[in-house]
Amino acid sequence: MAHDIMVIGAGLNGLVAANYLAKAGKRVLVLERRAMAGGQAVTEPLGSGFGVDALHAGGQLRPDIVKDLGLAMPPTSSDPLLSLLPDGQQLRLTADADARTIESIARLSGKDAERWPAFVQFMQDAAGFLDTAYRTPMPRLPHVSLAEGLPLAKLALNLRRLGPRDMFRVIRALPMSALELTEEWFESDVVRAAVSAVAVHGATLGPMSAGSGYTLMHNWLNRGGPGHQRVEGGIGRIAEALVSALKARGGEVRLSADVKGIVVDDMAVRGARLASGEVIPASTIVSAADPRHTLLDLIGAPELPPHFVWEAQSIKMRGSVAKVHLLTDGNHGLPSGTLVIAPSVRHIERAYDAAKYGQMSQDPYLEITTSGPVVSLHYQYAPYALRDQDWGQERAVLERCAVNTAASVAPALKSSIREITSLTPLDLERTYGLTEGDLNHGQLILDQMFFMRPLPGWSNHSTPVEGLYLCGNGVHGGGGISGASGRNAARAILKR
Amino acid sequence: MSVNTYDAIIIGAGHNGLIAGAYLARAGKKVVILERREIVGGAAVTEEIFPGYRFSEFSYVVSLLRPEIIRDLELPRHGLKILPLPSTVTPMDNGDYLAAWADHEPTRREICRHSPRDAEAFDEYSRVMARAAKAIKPVLSLVPPDPSSMSIRDMLGLLKLGRYAKSLSEKELYRIAKLVTQSSADLLDEWFEFDPLKGTKSASGIIGTFLGPHSPGTAYVLLHHYMGEIDGAFRAWGFAKNGTGGVTAAIAASARALGAEIRTNAAVKQVIVKGGRAAGVALENGDELRASVVLSAADPKRTFLNFVESKHFPDEFVTQIKNFRVRGSSGKVNIALSGLPDFTCLPGETPLHRGAISISPSIDYIERAYDEAKYGQFSKNPYIDMIIPSMIDRDMAPPGHHVMSCFVQYAPYDIEGGWDDQKRDAFGETVIRTIERYAPNIRRLIVGKQVITPKDIERIAGITGGNIFHGELLLHQLFFLRPAPQWADFRTPLPGYYFGASGAHPGGGVMGAAGKLAAHEVLRDWR
Amino acid sequence: MLETLQLKQTPFHARTSRLSLAQNWRRWAGYRVVGSYELSLEHEYWAIRDRAALIDVSPLMKYVIEGPDAARLLNKVTPRDIDRLAVGQVFYTGWCDEDGKLIDDGTISRLGPAQFRMTSAEPSLRWLAMNAVGLDVRVSEVTDQIGTLSLQGPKSRAILNRVCRDTLDGLKYFRCMQTYVGNVPVGISRTGYTGDLGYEIWMGAADALPVWDALMKAGDDFGIAPCGILAMDMARVEAGLFMLDVDYTAATHAWIEGQKSSPLEMGLDWAVSVEKKGYFVGRRALEREKREASAWRMVGIEVGWDGIEQLFAEVGLPPQIPAIAVRESRPIMSDGKQVGYVSTSTWSPVLKKYIALAHLQRPYYEVGTPLTMEITVEHHRKQAPARVVKLPFYEPVWKKK
Repeated sequence: MAHDIMVIGAGLNGLVAANYLAKAGKRVLVLERRAMAGGQAVTEPLGSGFGVDALHAGGQLRPDIVKDLGLAMPPTSSDPLLSLLPDGQQLRLTADADARTIESIARLSGKDAERWPAFVQFMQDAAGFLDTAYRTPMPRLPHVSLAEGLPLAKLALNLRRLGPRDMFRVIRALPMSALELTEEWFESDVVRAAVSAVAVHGATLGPMSAGSGYTLMHNWLNRGGPGHQRVEGGIGRIAEALVSALKARGGEVRLSADVKGIVVDDMAVRGARLASGEVIPASTIVSAADPRHTLLDLIGAPELPPHFVWEAQSIKMRGSVAKVHLLTDGNHGLPSGTLVIAPSVRHIERAYDAAKYGQMSQDPYLEITTSGPVVSLHYQYAPYALRDQDWGQERAVLERCAVNTAASVAPALKSSIREITSLTPLDLERTYGLTEGDLNHGQLILDQMFFMRPLPGWSNHSTPVEGLYLCGNGVHGGGGISGASGRNAARAILKR
Repeated sequence: MSVNTYDAIIIGAGHNGLIAGAYLARAGKKVVILERREIVGGAAVTEEIFPGYRFSEFSYVVSLLRPEIIRDLELPRHGLKILPLPSTVTPMDNGDYLAAWADHEPTRREICRHSPRDAEAFDEYSRVMARAAKAIKPVLSLVPPDPSSMSIRDMLGLLKLGRYAKSLSEKELYRIAKLVTQSSADLLDEWFEFDPLKGTKSASGIIGTFLGPHSPGTAYVLLHHYMGEIDGAFRAWGFAKNGTGGVTAAIAASARALGAEIRTNAAVKQVIVKGGRAAGVALENGDELRASVVLSAADPKRTFLNFVESKHFPDEFVTQIKNFRVRGSSGKVNIALSGLPDFTCLPGETPLHRGAISISPSIDYIERAYDEAKYGQFSKNPYIDMIIPSMIDRDMAPPGHHVMSCFVQYAPYDIEGGWDDQKRDAFGETVIRTIERYAPNIRRLIVGKQVITPKDIERIAGITGGNIFHGELLLHQLFFLRPAPQWADFRTPLPGYYFGASGAHPGGGVMGAAGKLAAHEVLRDWR
Repeated sequence: MLETLQLKQTPFHARTSRLSLAQNWRRWAGYRVVGSYELSLEHEYWAIRDRAALIDVSPLMKYVIEGPDAARLLNKVTPRDIDRLAVGQVFYTGWCDEDGKLIDDGTISRLGPAQFRMTSAEPSLRWLAMNAVGLDVRVSEVTDQIGTLSLQGPKSRAILNRVCRDTLDGLKYFRCMQTYVGNVPVGISRTGYTGDLGYEIWMGAADALPVWDALMKAGDDFGIAPCGILAMDMARVEAGLFMLDVDYTAATHAWIEGQKSSPLEMGLDWAVSVEKKGYFVGRRALEREKREASAWRMVGIEVGWDGIEQLFAEVGLPPQIPAIAVRESRPIMSDGKQVGYVSTSTWSPVLKKYIALAHLQRPYYEVGTPLTMEITVEHHRKQAPARVVKLPFYEPVWKKK
């Protein structure tokens, strides 16, 4: 065999895993279905060909990964979060609690402005805890070996070092709803809503859903604050850096290599079968595709234990994000930053309600980012499984609602639009390989995190099939742009 | 010794207060239990609102009452009789119904006629839930250890918990982890396809909560209510003879027999603090009673924000109690009837009339009912759990007449504009109209109707926020976080002042575990 | 309306209910079946061993599995090598959970190249469906649609030769064929739960009664007798055949690990083909167990009659052993230490011995090991000498001829 390890999927986690493995001396081959690497973190031409950060407006690899892999990363900048209110007002939130932010909050509530720095500190504590947790391998319970137990003990101690008050604040916050959490800190509904918007971003949850406290912490960690980390030159630069680093380490990346199946014999992997019919032999495969696709499509249920299959079928994906990208003439009138249309908690919650019943919300929570003349609208909630329509029909409605909602806070927008292109949850599945359009490869809900992610009992990256490992967003550490699960998977593999 | 000096004073003669008092009396302590109302029982009371018709006013079924409490306090000797509740029937909009029986076999066959696939899933589901309930049961009877504490007792407690987790099989452990965090909708969607089956089961996941079936954490509430199913022959999903008041009457009788004193019409105004310790209570009427131990069996807000001045507690603790969520979401409509309601799907009088009737046609139905509550309205199409106690216990109503107990979700405590008589009437009317869809003759039969909103629960039973569990069963308010971090062991920051009711571990339902555990902690400190 | 509260009736109910003098009904898989026809079991039992017994076994769960991946499904679910199952052949098998513990047991008959009939004691549709994910196969339950009779005893073949269109002479042990009884198409498998010469007859539920009548008429000369499941229970113990939830607890029904059994512990080594290719449920666990010896095994126990006579004589009583198979757990001791337990015991009329199926720890399960079984004599616990013997207890030469 020409290589030791095969990685399926050149998304960020796959590339990170590949780099760590190559750094340890393994000969790595990465197979990517599309003609470009990057997975969800792509800057690509859409519509008539205008370049756009298709799925994510920003993001960054964990600093320790950048350091470990010696990556040449482009500079990033932290967006402020701007909540655009119907009356033309704005609320500005930043992690560094600068004077402008405090002043902006104070216009809504003096008490809230006073509390903001303490809240930011709390979020840093919480994000720090999650960061450590995402670096801690999650073994199979309950028979944890000493070697496995030590990192867990360290995590617990890490938490305790916050002191009782802050430790409990963090523990409590995980299962709370964003509304409950923000109610304890702030009195202004606008402030609560803006923070809740961060909590529900990318998740099929509402501000009143239990567990949106956790997603708030998670998103805050990956963003480094309430607003996105914008990458100079587009988010696709991250994958570029990873690919060149991998090549420099002797790894190989094959694009347009569509893996249709993983060959299994006697409960062990033998290789990957491409759409072309070619079979590439491999005895170790790391899949960065989502767990359901990997296990039920690539491996196939017949090769797997029945309860394991049932659990894989039961992974809650149900993505409800759609993207609408606008090419304008530049005169859209929108400020720069991470903009949200989330005027009240109830607004976001009502938008989420629609998704529960298989309907696209027509009064959505919208997040808007701009890059030159390109305006990107992140639309929630647009559920993958529509009850009464299909996405072929709904696309037009989606685009119209998106534009109307954005225009409600940007009067100049409509007339500046030259072109509209959209990505429905179905597009996310078909083009980007995201089962049910779920960006997180499995909802970030309380029963699908830590020891339970991607499946209960299988949180250490291995599977019942010998030689098959999972490393994408759908495993522990994953979700959003971070690379953490790729790093964890590589470490788990190297330990064997 | 002055007649007003005791070893221990219990505030509140709800079931937990009575149980705590009984256990302390049993240990030889001189105990008085003080009740604000003229009757004991708290939210477990039977009242004859309309002459001849007796209502289990609030709580209406028994299932979770701990077997060890029934044995220790010899409650059967003091009159406790639990009459079985044999079935639950869910009327369907097409005139059919789905029944569930106490016996597994006919339940399975009933499900099979709607969905053979679900019938087999039901076999396995029942086993899995029973094993999960068995695995989690011991947690109900232990004092939650404080994970932030370095004390020997807490470290040992954590160790015990860890060892217990290790004794479970891998499958059991993950099953519990999943059940504690999932939404009941997700749980049920994994197993079943038939909507009325899922709707009815999901309903037990939202009882007394401000959550919908799609809310994460509701599978736990479902499991919590399942624990009544596994006590074997001891099982007690049932209706207490003479209504739920029969339960507290038996406990009160036992407490008195053990030597405890019970005073009604004795509302407590404040806890007396001397030398940084609880030293007794002052009643509303000015009387003072002394004791070295005061145990509050009221809700956490009253316990910590009304009875004791905030200066005696750390600021952080007061904030946490203020943040403790106690929003009531349940209403109750008790109806006196001149005859038996005629359900379209169950013509005449059937064995199913002796059980519960559940208006829960699907998960979405309940979720939509919840959505309305989120935005400050009572549900226009509510979830209703009805029983006709007079079909089980003929002494609850005059011959041929009946009483009907309707538990309703959702009716939010903080309804937009606040509860008033008009809104209460509208709520009651909504309930009747909903029942009417399935039993068209109900309106004619109504002799009298008592509509109870969360505001009424607060007013009558003295529960702040009107939440039937004294505090929502949310994950961040359970176990070592209930009612506040570091204070889940039935003690409070005020030495001599204890807390043992539904607002403490293990939560609500007529269980009695909190009262018993609190009493034991009091006795431990006494040594 | 409340029909669901009633137990179901088998297709033969109209006949069996009238013939049962004892009106001794039993619940079996949601059905009502006759426990015994006569007041004592002797006559029915001897029909099995000396003549021919007609037993209604319709409550068996039955499934038809067909499609291109039918064999693949059964290969995944069971540890047997289904590729070796020829058309017209029957396998007996247990199947396991992912930890290699028995869930259920039954037979698989290959009716066609891609068509199988499977029986089980417990409902298995869900388990089959869970395993069928991703396979091109159709699984349908036909429990209520198919009536099944078991004709067991040395005269059974002769009776069938009289009523069936085709001769049974060529039908080998654990083989099946299609034929007709009158106009009714029936499947006949040379299988049974008695360890004797015997056949199971499968027909559509609507055709059940004519087949019953035809067999009873043709068998009259041979002494055919309707036989209830209580007498069959005695025979199956003699044959060394175990029963779900009596002799082993289904892994799905177990509350604790110790209640579970693997097929190897139950003596099904011959039915576990770990060398076959491909994944099957419980594979790794069974491979491991085959390498190490089982910690427990189910074996046969013979309780010495002399010992029993003596224990009863000590209190002045003649030996009082029930004339029925007893499904009660009894401790088995060696040198005062409990080393296992009996799950079913019975007096064997044909062997004139008191026998039992028992679970024993290693090394006590070796044939010949002397042990004692606890029995209660006049309210006192006593130990009756016993020893481990090979299974089956009884196997007549004509069983496989």
